[in-house]
Amino acid sequence: MIQALTGTGPLLRHAIGLDFRKLLPWLLIFAVFPLIAFSAYPSLFPSQADAVVLQSTLSANPAFSLLFGPATDLSTAIGFTTWRIQMFGMFFAALMAILTVTRHTRATEDNGQAELLDSGVVGRHARLASALVLAWLASAAVGVLVAVTLAFAGAPPSSAYALGSMLTGTGFVFAGVAAVTAQLGSVARVANTLAATVLGISYLVRGLGDTFPGADWILWFSPMGWAERIRPSAENNPWPFLLLLVASIGLALWAAWLSSQRDFGLGLIPTRPGPARGRVGMWGLTAKLNRLPLWTWGVNLLILGSVFGLVTGALSSVFASNPFVKQMIAFRVATEEQLAYAFVEVLVLLLGIIGAVVGIQLALRFYAEEEERRSEWVLSAPLSRLSHVAPTVVVSVAAPAAGMILCSLALGIASNISGSPLDVWKVVLQGIAELPAIWLAVGFAVALVGWAPQLRSLAWLLLVYWLLLTFFGQVLKVPEWLMDTSPFHVVPHVFSDGTDWGAAWWSLVIAAALVAAGLDGYRRRDLVCT
Amino acid sequence: MSAVSISGLVKSFGRFKALDGLDLGVEEGEVHGFLGPNGAGKSTTLRILLGLLRADAGTVKVLGADPWRDVVPLHRRMAYVPGDVSLWPSLTGGEAIDLLGRLRGGLDDKRCDELLEALELDPTKRGHTYSKGNRQKVAIIAALSSNAELLILDEPTSGLDPLMEATFREEIRWERSLGRSVLLSSHILAEVEALADRISIIRKGKVVETGSLEQMRSRARTNVSATIDGNAALLTTLPGIADLRIEGHRVHFSVDSENLGDAMSVLSHHGMSALTVSPPSLEDLFLQHYGDPSDLSVEHDDEQMAPSFFDRHGRRRAE
Repeated sequence: MIQALTGTGPLLRHAIGLDFRKLLPWLLIFAVFPLIAFSAYPSLFPSQADAVVLQSTLSANPAFSLLFGPATDLSTAIGFTTWRIQMFGMFFAALMAILTVTRHTRATEDNGQAELLDSGVVGRHARLASALVLAWLASAAVGVLVAVTLAFAGAPPSSAYALGSMLTGTGFVFAGVAAVTAQLGSVARVANTLAATVLGISYLVRGLGDTFPGADWILWFSPMGWAERIRPSAENNPWPFLLLLVASIGLALWAAWLSSQRDFGLGLIPTRPGPARGRVGMWGLTAKLNRLPLWTWGVNLLILGSVFGLVTGALSSVFASNPFVKQMIAFRVATEEQLAYAFVEVLVLLLGIIGAVVGIQLALRFYAEEEERRSEWVLSAPLSRLSHVAPTVVVSVAAPAAGMILCSLALGIASNISGSPLDVWKVVLQGIAELPAIWLAVGFAVALVGWAPQLRSLAWLLLVYWLLLTFFGQVLKVPEWLMDTSPFHVVPHVFSDGTDWGAAWWSLVIAAALVAAGLDGYRRRDLVCT
Repeated sequence: MSAVSISGLVKSFGRFKALDGLDLGVEEGEVHGFLGPNGAGKSTTLRILLGLLRADAGTVKVLGADPWRDVVPLHRRMAYVPGDVSLWPSLTGGEAIDLLGRLRGGLDDKRCDELLEALELDPTKRGHTYSKGNRQKVAIIAALSSNAELLILDEPTSGLDPLMEATFREEIRWERSLGRSVLLSSHILAEVEALADRISIIRKGKVVETGSLEQMRSRARTNVSATIDGNAALLTTLPGIADLRIEGHRVHFSVDSENLGDAMSVLSHHGMSALTVSPPSLEDLFLQHYGDPSDLSVEHDDEQMAPSFFDRHGRRRAE
């Protein structure tokens, strides 16, 4: 066993050297964002009563516990911070761990670096081990950063460290998950997709556990649910963290065993020979290359829409029994129907953000072809730059649209089935109303690919900025003009009377201009040849 | 009309000047060897000919047209084998060949089958399971079965085994017999020597010598070894002598063509009893331009080229 790990140290140093800059932005976000939420608390909630109001509002719209987890304690700054960052923090920590592990295991086998490294004095499991240790270190760094910055800002250390351990623990487990999927998938993309699917499912499962009264036990079926049970600032329970740690080590051992069962460069899911002849052109090629993301996103959105719909229906009874809601209805502040629509609107907004993720991913995928030097070969055929990129643009615009219609339709139908009589057409229209904002994100990605592909990660950064602004801006009392820089903030409210579509048209115009600029840029620029 | 004509071509990437006033001409129907180590600017030149990169300055004509502006009509008439072929992991080799064929509006199926057989390629394997040599074959087959007038080949045989290299050479000769023009970039001297009608040697973004191998030889220095009984010190005073080595009665040197006669008369006046005169090989020609070994590794590129070049050819030269 020890021999199998020979060389882990040097490999780890090599990996840290390669990844330092890639991990830095993640860590910075983790260092800064909780601090902002924490230090904003006194000005946001000058009195205890303000916090109670928020708590009541939240309990009136279960979409918030579904998406962001339960607000166990908003009476303290650390409790508020926990509620603000727990879900996104866990999600991004897990994503970071997954991408890191895959990058240093499966991806290096794909691009041939692993062969070079493995030919040195390294044991059978050294590469896997170094990738895992790196991901563990990064996850630990995230937790420590969050804890230390909050403790310095005046939070009770035990609560701050509990919050940090929640993020670290999630990162640990998903590093293990990625180590396993790296053995299963035959290329990095497949490995990442598998691991991200596990992440998505565990997010959804814990959402169900948080939303339904008395459904706490469901949390045991999701690693994110375990992490939630640490309950920072309320319980500060260390045991779930140990459970996560043990699970991570277990997964790592399983991955090591799996890797000894397979051949170098191949996955456990075998690749079969295929047809000797093909009939695809540029359109067919684009469809074929994107088949995996299109299917996985399609299925994910369908499931997410249906689950959201079922939750909506099942919650109408919960609604009625909530005292705060009863009050609101009694005083005619809102009707029961309006509350249900407010709930659905938040859910559709989140689906819209996911739609933008799909679009950006598809658009940026085009550049990977260039980076891996396949575009160079394809463009030696009689093919203009425009016809080369056109299928990608069409797919990355059309796929989110189809996805939004699909998932909002599923949401509407599922809610009706489970007893909440929403207007299905209106739900779908709300889904369609997200499209200008989604296309704006896609347009920005296309423009980057066309003009400055080396800056393409700005597309992700912009989306993260919009996401944080849209979901947290209002609670953090961000000024309205700043809120308006997010197209998701100005999405038309289909459910309210006199819907204003003006902002959506503006988003659409800007999106079209960005796409046109991207196409023009790709026609003019040098191909990136490495 | 020539197939390719380039004059004064300049291309920079940031501060790095990849091409610095390059001139190159490929006649119609000839195989033109484009010789230089990696990083000298070969691939950059070829990518400009394909309209993948835009020239900063200079004029470039391919089959009489502008390679950046007239991409589509031009590419119907030319085919390309990239230096390092990368295939789609999920597509088979056969599907990749047909994709390229379809993009150009059809392949010569008969030729394609012949090539598959000649190069012994299994077209049903997925892209990421091919070895480097086999990936190279996929691109070679796609290019050669396209009936293009101009073939642009960027180190097409890297990764091929010697048997397949021989097959490849036969196929290129066949293409030439059909009147096709070929621009063959390579650092494998034997390949260029065997195939090329004319050769251009590129160094640091400039073509430093161009012509047929015969022309180049006549311009270059001849290697001489001789046994004499007198003192050879006089040789050192002669102009045009280089690499002089004296081992007792044996002398070795190389000499310019115009000073060859003088050198011979000096030798015969010193009691010459044995003489070997060998014309410069392509390796000698090449090394005369790359005399300073550090040149081979100055520019950014590849790890493989510089050492392998000197191992294989440097040692042979010393023998």
